[in-house]
Order: sequence, then structure tokens, then C-alpha cells
Amino acid sequence: MVNVEEIRDYAANLLKKGEVKSVLGFRRGSASAFAEPCTITDVGEATSLVWDPTCLNNLTLYLVKDRKQQAAAKNPDNRPVGIVAKGCDSRAIGVLLQENYFKREDVVVIGVSCEGTGVVDPRKLSAKLKGRTASRVTFGGADGINVSVYGDETETVIPAREILADRCLECRAAVPALNDVVFGEAVGAREFDEPFHAAKEAESLSADERWATWEHHFDRCLRCFACRAVCPMCYCPECVVDSTTFVVTLGTSAEEKANRIRWCERSANTSESAVYHLTRTIHLAGRCIDCGECERVCPVNIPLRLLNTKLEKEAFEMFEYQAGHDIEQASLLSSFRDEDPNSFIR
Amino acid sequence: MEKILNQEKLREWVDMLDDCEVYAPAFADSVWNFARIEAGTDIDLSHTNTIGSVKEFVFPQREVFFRFEKKDGVPVLTPTLPDPKPTVVFGVRPCDGRGMPRNDTVFNKEFVDPYYWARRDKLTLIGLACNLPHSPNCFCQSVGGSPHSEDGLDVLMTDLGDRFHVKGITVKGVEAMERGRDAFDAVRDGDQAEVEKVHDTSRSFPQRPLGNLDAIPEAIRENFDSPLWADMAQHCIGCGICTFLCPTCHCFDINDEVISPTTGEGERVRTWDNCQFPDFTMHTSGHNPRADLGSRLRQRVSHKFLYFVENHKTQQCTGCGRCITECPVGIDIVAVLERVSQ
Repeated sequence: MVNVEEIRDYAANLLKKGEVKSVLGFRRGSASAFAEPCTITDVGEATSLVWDPTCLNNLTLYLVKDRKQQAAAKNPDNRPVGIVAKGCDSRAIGVLLQENYFKREDVVVIGVSCEGTGVVDPRKLSAKLKGRTASRVTFGGADGINVSVYGDETETVIPAREILADRCLECRAAVPALNDVVFGEAVGAREFDEPFHAAKEAESLSADERWATWEHHFDRCLRCFACRAVCPMCYCPECVVDSTTFVVTLGTSAEEKANRIRWCERSANTSESAVYHLTRTIHLAGRCIDCGECERVCPVNIPLRLLNTKLEKEAFEMFEYQAGHDIEQASLLSSFRDEDPNSFIR
Repeated sequence: MEKILNQEKLREWVDMLDDCEVYAPAFADSVWNFARIEAGTDIDLSHTNTIGSVKEFVFPQREVFFRFEKKDGVPVLTPTLPDPKPTVVFGVRPCDGRGMPRNDTVFNKEFVDPYYWARRDKLTLIGLACNLPHSPNCFCQSVGGSPHSEDGLDVLMTDLGDRFHVKGITVKGVEAMERGRDAFDAVRDGDQAEVEKVHDTSRSFPQRPLGNLDAIPEAIRENFDSPLWADMAQHCIGCGICTFLCPTCHCFDINDEVISPTTGEGERVRTWDNCQFPDFTMHTSGHNPRADLGSRLRQRVSHKFLYFVENHKTQQCTGCGRCITECPVGIDIVAVLERVSQ
């Protein structure tokens, strides 16, 4: 078991010694039974840190946010940031390092092993409870997760296998390979499901069935852009779906304004939502590390992870490439090897 | 009009509304949402609250204002005012019901929005009182509502176990009940007392307090330049979940969507917009007066608890709790107001 006191002490020490300006971690929030992200800057706040299967977020997002803020600041504070990272989260940091988004010395990775379990999938939990709210979710050992339902005093034990996130069931690297310290036992694989299990299952459907599925999902999309907003790899200063940098001057004609390029219309309909999601998927090819955040945050539960793992699977099968596993490796889209398959070149 | 409807007669009532489009909550893709139902047998009122609110029936995410095209070099506009079939929505929670009069005000006060009212006039909302709160984030009573509020609803149903107490509140509501004719029974002795008991119990569950509602506008005003906003929005990701799911958020954008530049064919559409998005306040000059997430959180909260109060004498929040429950990073409007009020 991970001893949360050790994480707290380590974080407090980093702050005390001035090695980091802040530590990104998890704390209990007021909004739900799941932990919420926190940024602590005072040694005393370290006692609020928690660690359990409700620590869902990939905090790497906030490293990206910090870099953006410092880049825009008049007096940037470029001291390193500490971050509590699961195996998948550490791979996100790895991809950002490969892409030179920041440097290794900018971040202190407080690795936490998921120890053969993982995190709870709120969607699976919601399906179990038929939409009712869990008031408490605690880890009851490898076999089960204890769930209390709001308005109901009894506690039910749900087998972990049934409510763990798909990515956790398929994960083979639950110990952060990229780290400055690791807490918890080095239990890497849990073998609940084989890698790419969900993607393979989806592939077994016919093209018509697959299109029907995705048409159904794209139709439901609200275009709240939470999937993009939460993704640490979606760091473009301007996304193709926003037009925030089209500058209008006195000399801009009505024609130019009307004809400015809009790749994707505002309308939440099948075609525009398909363009949005497929653009995002392609932009994540060879970069997505399967933290599952896009799928977790979706308010209408679109299985977005499937789109990304499909490309992850292709990257692995065609190029033996796994995003974020080796920061010394050149990124998939910026490298070429003689042995790369090239049957698509005609 | 007050009637009793046995649980198994609910289907009959729904079937008798066959010239209307009937919607009810459905649990699909692991989430409750309103869905069109074809037959009374499809109805299931065991829902918590739907993820989307009833505002979608009057203020759809995409509304076409008119179509345009060029014919022989001359622009031709075709009106597209909606003419929907009468629509009946079952299972509306009182917090969503209370959202409607607020939306009505917005789309009626200075400008009567014909698109909104074309849908609104055809809409009948059948509410269902909440005997138990669905989530620890419900706070309807803290914003002046209640789990059995009739405000904005045409009918209020109360679940009494084996039967519903059904109360027609508006003319539209009574009409909908009259269509159900024989499905209903008369209210008997003791039913009224039972309804009151259920309602009393539903109000007794603890809800998150907001303190003195009247003091909140001043607290927000005083804290306009406070660093609190940036601090509370520190982990905000700037997505649109909180406002898109809100039963009273109504900001929109208008765009011309050109289908063919050669024929000049296209549509002018209104789509939901969102104060959390970067381009919401983007000026044509490239300057953005709300460049950071702190100022956007302040805007969302201020609109609901300060500006709306100033303009319309009531909060633009009905305590449904969706923005809290669905926020991916735990931003909690009740906690925000608590901190601002301290």
C-alpha cells in the first residue's frame, strides 16, 4: 500500500528546501466523492494531500498551464514544479519532454504506483448506480471498491474489475518509469484485460456498425470542448475550432471577415462534431498516452478513448512505438527509420 | 385540478397524448437524459436528474434563423421560424422548472424572441417532485426553491409509492391532464395529508447553505478585483460543461454557415455560446478583456448572483447542482459563494 504520509512528507520537504515553487497533487474536495486537483505552495498544506483510486485527474495539464502562464508573465517564475503522477501521467510528462515543451529539470516527478489496481471510472460507477451519486468511494484491497450511495447509509463492495477504468484494466506500466521518486510497490501489470482490448473489440464490428455507433455519439456531443480542455497534449495556442487570432483592423473588408477560414462551424451537429473529434484524434496520433481524461470528463459519456487507442494501437503495431515510454526516443511523427513500413507509398 | 394516477396508469396517460411529441428521462450511455418516447410503456420515472436541462426544448443548441441563397445574383432569404408539434416533457425536476420563468424573462423582456416563443408556447412541462435529493450538490432550497416547487411547471406529480398525486398548475397543464381522462382517479381522503408529508420530508434533507442570499450581490461587488477569483479558478480547464448543462445559462452566438460559396447558399444560425471560452469576449482588435479563467469564473458567478438580481430581482440559479457535479476539476459554485461572502 502507498503510505500517503510519505507523499506528504516528500512534498513538504521539496517546498521546505525551496526545490519547487509548488506541488501539484490531489485533495478531498467539496464537490464529489472523487479527489480534486490542488496546487500547494506552503509546507503546511502538504497534509491535505491524498492518494487513492479516486485520484482520477492527469495533473500534467497543469504543468502545461504553468508553462503558458510563465511564457506570458512579465516576471516569470521558472522554478520547478513538483507533481504527483501515476504511471500514465508520467508518460504524459514524457511526451511533453520529447516535444521539448519543458525541460526535465523543470519538473520533479513524485511517482505513485497504482499497485495493480488503478482508478475508478465514474461512468462505470454511474452505470452500476443508475445515475445515483456515490457519496464515498474507498479502496477495499485488490478485490473490491467500497461505495456508499448518497441518501443511503449502506456500503456496497463492488468488485474492482467492474468499475476500474478500461485503461487501468489494460495497463502494463502502472509504475511511473519517469520519476524522481516512486511510492508504492512496483506492481506493473495486472492482466485484467489485454492491451488494446476495447479497441480490438470495436474493430470487430463492421464499418456500417462502427459508423452508426459514432454517428450516434457525434450527434450527442455538446461541443463543450472539455475533452480538449483537459488534454495535456492539446496545448496549441489556437485550436482549429476557435478563431481567437483572426485580427480585424480598420482595413479588414467585410468580405475578408465573412470568408475567414473556419475549419469547423459552431453548430453541434454530426458533421461538425465529427470534424472536431477526428481532428483531435489525428493530432494525438503517437502522442496520446491513454490517461483517459477526455473520456472521463465528457458529460454525455462519449467513449472518446476508443478513438485515441485505435491510433495508439496502429502506432504500436506498425512502428513499435509507445508514446511517452522513452523520452530519449524521437517522437513518432518526427522520426524515420529504414525499417518503417512503407506499403502506403505508391 | 388535483387527481390521483396509479403507477400502472401512467402509461395510459402517456398514450393518450398521442398527437404530441412526448419526452421523458431515459438512462442511456450511463447517463440520464431526455429522450423522445414512442409509447407509454417506455416511460421510466426512476431518474435522478437529467444531464441536459429542459432549456434545450425552448433554446436548442442550434437554431436556424433563416436560409439564404443567391438567385440570379439577387440574395433570397427564406424564413425558418419553427413550428413544432405540441411537446410534453415528463419527469422535469422542480429546479429545471424554476429555470423556465427565468429564461422566459430573458427572451421576453426587451425583445420578444420569436424562435424561443414558437417552441415555448407549444411546450408542457410535467414536473416530478424530488422525494429524495439526488445528489449532495442539490441546493434548491438555498436559492428560494424547494424539491416540490411548482414554479415554471404546468403539472406537478408527487410519487406516493403505488400512485402519483398529480396537480394541474397552468391551463396547459390542466389540458394535458384532461387528455388523460379515465386514467386518473379522484383524490380521496387522506391523499392530501400524504402529499404534504412527502413534501415535508423532502424538504427536511440537509442541503448546502448559501447563507443570506440578499447579502451575496454586495459581497460579489466588493470582491470584483479580489485575487480570490484567480485562486478559485486555478484548476479550471475552461471547458463549457458548467454553462451548457445549466438550466438558465442562455448566452448565444450567431454565425452564417455557408454551405456553398458559389451559390451563396447557407443558413444563419444561433448556437449556444459560453462565457468560459476564450473567444466569448474576444474583441475584433485582438484584445480580450477576460483573458484569464479567474475573470471568467467571476463572470459566471456574477451573472447568476449579481447582474441578474440587479436586472430581474431574482437569482439566475435554481440550485440543480449540475455545474458542481459535472465539473471535471471540482469547482463548486456553493463553495465559491461561501468564500466570496466571508
